[in-house]
Order: sequence, then C-alpha cells, then structure tokens
Amino acid sequence: MSDASLAARGAAADAAAPRRRIRWDLILLIAPLAIATAVIFDIPLLNTAYWAVTDETGALSGQYFREFAESAAYMRIIWRTLLISLEVTVITMLLGYPLAYWATRLTMRPRMIVLGLVVMTFWVSILVRTYAWIVILGNGGLVNRGLQWTGLTSKPVQFLYNEFGIVVGMTNVLLPFLVLPLFAAMIRVDQRLLQVAETLGASRFRIFWQIFFPLTVPTLAASAILVFILSLGFYITPAVLGGGRVPLIANMMDLLINRFARWEIAAVVSIVLMVITLSLYAVYQRLRERYQ
Amino acid sequence: MSGPSRLSDVALAAFAMLVLIFLLLPVLIVAPMSFSDAKSLEFPPPGFSLRWYQNLLGNPIWIDAGKNSIVLATFSSTIALICGTLAAYVLVRGDFRGRRALEANFMAPMIVPSIIVAVSLYIFFARTGLLGTFFGLVLGHTILATPYVVLIMQAAIRSFDIRIEQVAATLGASQWQILTRVVLPNLAPSAAAAWIFTFVMSFDEVVVTMFISGTYMTIPKRMFAELLLQVNPTITAVATLLIAFNLLALALLLLFSRRTTLSQGLT
Repeated sequence: MSDASLAARGAAADAAAPRRRIRWDLILLIAPLAIATAVIFDIPLLNTAYWAVTDETGALSGQYFREFAESAAYMRIIWRTLLISLEVTVITMLLGYPLAYWATRLTMRPRMIVLGLVVMTFWVSILVRTYAWIVILGNGGLVNRGLQWTGLTSKPVQFLYNEFGIVVGMTNVLLPFLVLPLFAAMIRVDQRLLQVAETLGASRFRIFWQIFFPLTVPTLAASAILVFILSLGFYITPAVLGGGRVPLIANMMDLLINRFARWEIAAVVSIVLMVITLSLYAVYQRLRERYQ
Repeated sequence: MSGPSRLSDVALAAFAMLVLIFLLLPVLIVAPMSFSDAKSLEFPPPGFSLRWYQNLLGNPIWIDAGKNSIVLATFSSTIALICGTLAAYVLVRGDFRGRRALEANFMAPMIVPSIIVAVSLYIFFARTGLLGTFFGLVLGHTILATPYVVLIMQAAIRSFDIRIEQVAATLGASQWQILTRVVLPNLAPSAAAAWIFTFVMSFDEVVVTMFISGTYMTIPKRMFAELLLQVNPTITAVATLLIAFNLLALALLLLFSRRTTLSQGLT
C-alpha cells in the first residue's frame, strides 16, 4: 500500500464514522501472522482431528477411538502418564512452596541471587538438564558411588530407566514453573494482615496456616495445574531417563508415528491429550484471572 | 514476620537450600565433567583436559549440526519477530470484533503440548511434501516462536504511550510513517529481547524437530540421538557449551529488557 493511498484513506476516514470503516492497513499488518497460524497450526490440527474421526473412505467413524479405548496397552500408558504427572505435581508443590517462601523472607540481595539461580535453570536446555541425571543417578554415577563408598549397598542401585528416574528428571525441569509465580504471589500478600494477627496474639503457626497460606492457595493451585499440563506432554525426559522402558503418552505418540505408522491412532491420542490439556488450561486461566 | 530465629526457620532454610541445590545440580555437575580427562563419566573428574572439546570441534557431524541449528534459529526467529510484532501492534491498538479469539489463536501454539504440534505437522507435512525439508522445519519453528513474540511485543506496545502516536498523526504522519518512524524504533530493545528469546527456543527445540526434520541434523537432535545410544562424554562438552550459550543469551536479554516490561511478560 502506498503512502498516498494511506494518506487519502486517512483524510477520508476523518469524515467517516470511525468504528465501522474497514482498516485495511491494520488487516495488512495482522495478515502475515493470521495466515501463518492458520496454515502451519490450525489446519494441521484440524487435519489431525479429521484423521481421528474418519475411516479410510473418509466417512465419519469412531473406530479408531474405540480401538484406542479398548486396548489395554494404550490405557496402561495413559494411566501411567496421569499418575506420574500427579506425582511430579505433588512433589513439585512440596519442594517448591518452601523454596518460594524462604526466598520471600530473605533480604534483597540474597533474594535476587536465589531468584536469579532459579531463572537461570529455566534457561538451560531441557536436554542438558535431563542428561545430567544420567551422570548423577547412573550405575557408575555420583549417588551410587557415594552409596557404595559408605557401604550402604554393595551393588549399584537402579535409579534410572524406571519411574523414579523420570519423576526426578521431570520434577527438576518443572520446579521453576511453580516457584516463580508462587514467589510473585507471596510477595504480594499484604504484610499488614500478618502484623494485625500478630498484634492480636496469634501464634506464628496460626498466622501462617490461617492467613498466609490460604492467600497463596489460588496461585499454588494454578501453578500446580500448569505443571500437571506440562507433565502430560513430556517427551524428552521419559525417553532419556526411562530408557524406553517406561513410555509416557508422548513417547507412545512417537512410536505410533515413527515406528508403527499408525497415524490414525496417533491422531486419536493427540485429540484426547488436547482436550485434557485445554480443559485444564481453562481452569488455570480462570484461577489466574480471578486472583490477580 | 519478624521474631527470634527459631528451629523452624533453620529447618526451612536448610530444606529450601537443599531444593535449590537439587534444582542446580545438573548445571553444577555437567560443566566440570566436560573438562575431565577420564574416558568414562566420573565425578569428580580425576584430571583436567580439553579432550572432549577437541573431540567435539574436530567432528564434522557436530559442526554441521551447529551450522544447521544457527541458520534454522536465525530464519525462524526473524520471521516470527516480523509477523509477531506487526500482529501485536494490531492486537493492542486495534479495536475489532474477534480480537480476543484471534489473540487466543496466536497464543495456542504455546499452550498445546509440542508433541501434538509435532504429530500434526508430521501428518500435514507428509501429505503436502514438506516433510524433511528445511522450509518445513523453518515453518514449524516459526509457529512455535510466534506466541512468545506476540506476548513480549504486546507488553512493550502497551507500555508505549499512545499519545505519541496521536501527536504524530496530528502532525500529518500516515499510519505507515507512524509505525516505521515512531513505534518500531521505540520498540527496538523489546524486539531484540524477543528475537534472542525465540532464537534460544528454536536452538533448543527437540520434539517438533525430531518429527519433521527428516535427515536434517540440529544440535539438540544430534544430542538426543547420542543420549539414547549411550553416554559419550563428548556430550558433556556440548551440554556445557549450550549452558554457556543460553546464559549468554539470558544476559543479553536482560541487558535489552532493563527498561521494558519484558520481565512481566516472561513470568
């Protein structure tokens, strides 16, 4: 669009009703992303949905959903993923809450250092953070050699290639997603409420559990949902630390596409995972909007 | 909550520090290991050596993977920055029906698990002949990056005083002039930060890359493949370089975002 036509439009627009005219300049600006999102995201996702709900002839069919739901092997992986995600979420809350709370009670400089370290881990590639656990938890790794040195065990303990290794790795990656928002919420708690309670003679135990903690619960819940959502789609950590022995949903999707070429079933799993994720995300958004 | 130091305070501090160490452990372990002279993964390293770095830099497979990663991240983050910034401007300044729905659509690639994006792009690209092409890979990485650009740039544009634009309009500037001469130059620091952020994201991306890249090798893809095969200490050198690279990017990003609202957008 040339400057002249824009200027002409601008002059004409001043006279016209400002709301109802079509702003071609704005449409032009938003068009590249709108088209890109439609072509590289929306259409592929709709295509996946189409693969999930039609048979070879293109007729509407629930056969792949039925096959998926009736397969004990698929269901086992779904339940395992839900269970591991739940474990990771609970452990992340138990570890993350005290860390965030401790950070709020530090003076300015140590607090910035602690937060800086948490943010830093956020920035290290998931692959690197996962890889390190092989070094730490492997048979010849740090922990096992320490255990053998102290004489607690004679044989290496199998920490990796089972659910334990996966839970450790995932918790490590996901902790910052809980700690950072939780810290932000704790800082916003009105200190005067706590002072009033103290003046009225409440014990520190009561102040914490009856005033401080309830005020941080919405953010804790929202962050926990976020951690749970992210856990459901984890691919790298279970693949590396599970050694292929403990596949989760994402690893199953990888096998369905790249090994067995069962695109229809992979599409079904995608749709199921998407519905779960988006429903939980809606809850997450509602919690965040209500309490911020 | 002031008061004398008590047992519970000490317990809290001790527990929190253990959690912090747990969080940092991977970084603390990997970097020293990369300078080890042992053939296997031993910690603490018995001696100092640069052999794994020599191994790495002398290996054309890793060098090629590095070049691919850089080119891929440059293309996708640049395209994402351009499309995302223009769209963010319209989302903030425009007032039209469906604005929120459009914004949600732009954000969706960030929320939908990347494994679903990977599967969907795989099937779609397989049907359209883009599977295994560099172009397809750039498209995939671009769409993963755009939500972050929109998020960061929306925050930046919101904090940019609309009255400055109104003054420019009063003085006779066209919409195009307002955008290119007034708005965009002021957004440059945020744009730089957004570009760095998405560059690093693309540089670290594994899942979508694994599905749609075909024979193209990137650093994380190569690293992932090596990890599954088994542990070769050269990876500690790659990992350490990645840590250094990511932290350098973080430092740059903080430098650019010092006076912007970026920090709000990212947490």
